[in-house]
Amino acid sequence: MFDALIDGLWLVLQWKAFSLMMVGMALGFAVGLLPGIGGAATLALMLPFIFKMAPAEAFAFLLGMHAVAATTGDITSVLFGVPGEAISAAAVVDGYPMTKRGEAGRALGAALMSSLLGALIGAGALALAIPIVRPLVLTFGSPELFMLAIIGISCITSLSGAGARGQIKGFAMGLLGLLLSTIGQERQSGSLRFDMGMMYLWDGLDFVPVLVGIFAIPEIVDLAIRGTAIAGERQPENLKAGVMEGVKDTFRHFWLVFRCSIIGVFVGILPGAGGGVAQWMAYAHSVQSAKNAKEREGFGKGDVRGVLGPGAANNSKEGGELIPTIAFGVPGSGAMAILLGGFLIMGIIPGPDMLTKHLAITFSMVWTLVIANVITVVLCLLVLDQLAKVTYVRGGLIIPFVLLLVFVGSYTANGQIADLIVTFTFGLLSYFMVLYGWPRPPFVLGFVLGKVIETYLFISVSRYGFNWLRHPVVIILIVLMAIIIAYPYIQQRRDRLRSSANA
Amino acid sequence: MHKGRVLFCVFLIAAAACAVWAAFGWTFKAKLFPLTVSIPLMVLAAIQLVAEIFGKADTGDRQAMDIEFASDVAPELARRRAIGAFLWVGGFILLVYLLGFPWAVPIFIFSYLHLQSRIGLPVSAALTAATWLFFYGLFQRLLHLPFEDGLIQTLLGV
Repeated sequence: MFDALIDGLWLVLQWKAFSLMMVGMALGFAVGLLPGIGGAATLALMLPFIFKMAPAEAFAFLLGMHAVAATTGDITSVLFGVPGEAISAAAVVDGYPMTKRGEAGRALGAALMSSLLGALIGAGALALAIPIVRPLVLTFGSPELFMLAIIGISCITSLSGAGARGQIKGFAMGLLGLLLSTIGQERQSGSLRFDMGMMYLWDGLDFVPVLVGIFAIPEIVDLAIRGTAIAGERQPENLKAGVMEGVKDTFRHFWLVFRCSIIGVFVGILPGAGGGVAQWMAYAHSVQSAKNAKEREGFGKGDVRGVLGPGAANNSKEGGELIPTIAFGVPGSGAMAILLGGFLIMGIIPGPDMLTKHLAITFSMVWTLVIANVITVVLCLLVLDQLAKVTYVRGGLIIPFVLLLVFVGSYTANGQIADLIVTFTFGLLSYFMVLYGWPRPPFVLGFVLGKVIETYLFISVSRYGFNWLRHPVVIILIVLMAIIIAYPYIQQRRDRLRSSANA
Repeated sequence: MHKGRVLFCVFLIAAAACAVWAAFGWTFKAKLFPLTVSIPLMVLAAIQLVAEIFGKADTGDRQAMDIEFASDVAPELARRRAIGAFLWVGGFILLVYLLGFPWAVPIFIFSYLHLQSRIGLPVSAALTAATWLFFYGLFQRLLHLPFEDGLIQTLLGV
């Protein structure tokens, strides 16, 4: 095992594999910064180039690119409120308000350092988990996966603001997201739903134009309303000190970063969930782990913990996603499905062979995740000064350029003008959501989980009738869900009792 | 009672009601999930509507965990600027529809910089040229993104 670990490192450090990893990282860096152009799409575009590579070189190239996109995606989320990647959307919620407050350096420092720790924890989990994860994954059937997705939705409660009214709005937005995810052809019966006679809607709403509209447009409109730079009229901050503060924040909240990384790994392992879910579950956990309602008030207004949690989770999930992909040939996400194509191109069949015959290649993937993330974060920290200065440029100069990136990004989803209209429509909807205090994160989580929930529910009911509700793991998950929903109330009541005792 | 908040609740109720109405005509498999989510959505939006109408919305717990818009701009001015921003966004989409991305990008960038941001002619022209080069170099030459022709080019056959 130890020999394989060293062999894996040696495979990555070979000049050709290392150079290819650097090329992949450069591509991933650019792709991560461009809104809408996802890491998965770039993986697919790059697949034809690996035919002449050795397996370790090909995986260094592909994984280097994929690992970096998740890290740099946070940069535009924090600086402009525009998610560079679908999996970076949660960083907008607290990262962008920090930038508006003149703390871009701190937010970026926190995002990058938590991403690095998340990636390292994810890689560690990949190295350790392969022998023990098999029985765990095999216990999870559709009913358990359905309940897990429902737990994701119940996390909405903690994303929705304090009090019963906050929960009503949160659940309503989550349900709206779920409802909109049903647009298009129903997978089991083939029936068309809410297609309004438009062929564009047959495949359902694509995640990219919806997400870009939901997050980017209101931020752009807000910038136009304020008529200032993103960071307002403030004097430029001391970026070096800010970045260091963000790095320190990561270690100050190390256990939160660690727990969110584990959430990322776990969500990554589960097929179909992916980074879109991991980041929001981690965000919800960051909110829920606040000790009291007062401490929770800062979320959404620029609390650094809201940046740390998602940053860690969306990088650690890379390691998690690789576990079922390598061990069972079951890809945890779209990107992993493409990577699986890479395995087949290389003539490698995922499964037990990856833990015996090709163990060195498996470990080379672990090392690629580690090395690529370390290099990226160090490079990013070196150029942060220049990046964060953009937030002090007058809004009127930035808006048209950001709009261009937003709409080109959205257009890449299907290459149709309808993508732009979807972005505009959801931008308008999102504007009113923010204006009238309806939270957007539950909406996005509902929209992301919708298809997964419906599929698992259908399989559970078809296979077990209603007996799936009696599965032991399902019962445990139901209890867990009830605790998650009740927790804010319990916490509120405890605070009230404590304050009345003090009075 | 805040008219905008009430209207937003009404919009949600109407959207959920339309979904319920449409779903009733489908097969059981197809309608199960949409009905399961749209009926509670309607109920929750109705509860919120009642709370908004009877003035119970200002209890301090309505603050969503989300960004907040600028509060230091006068509401009337903010509304005007928001409408203006949405018109610019809509205008860009219209330009793309009529002319396609390659033409729409320089026209939009120049118009926005010069007319909206009141940047001088030479600087606007220089920034437009730089942006177009970035767009052309990255998206067209490097990434080979297929941008469709606009309606005008299609009609003229050019």
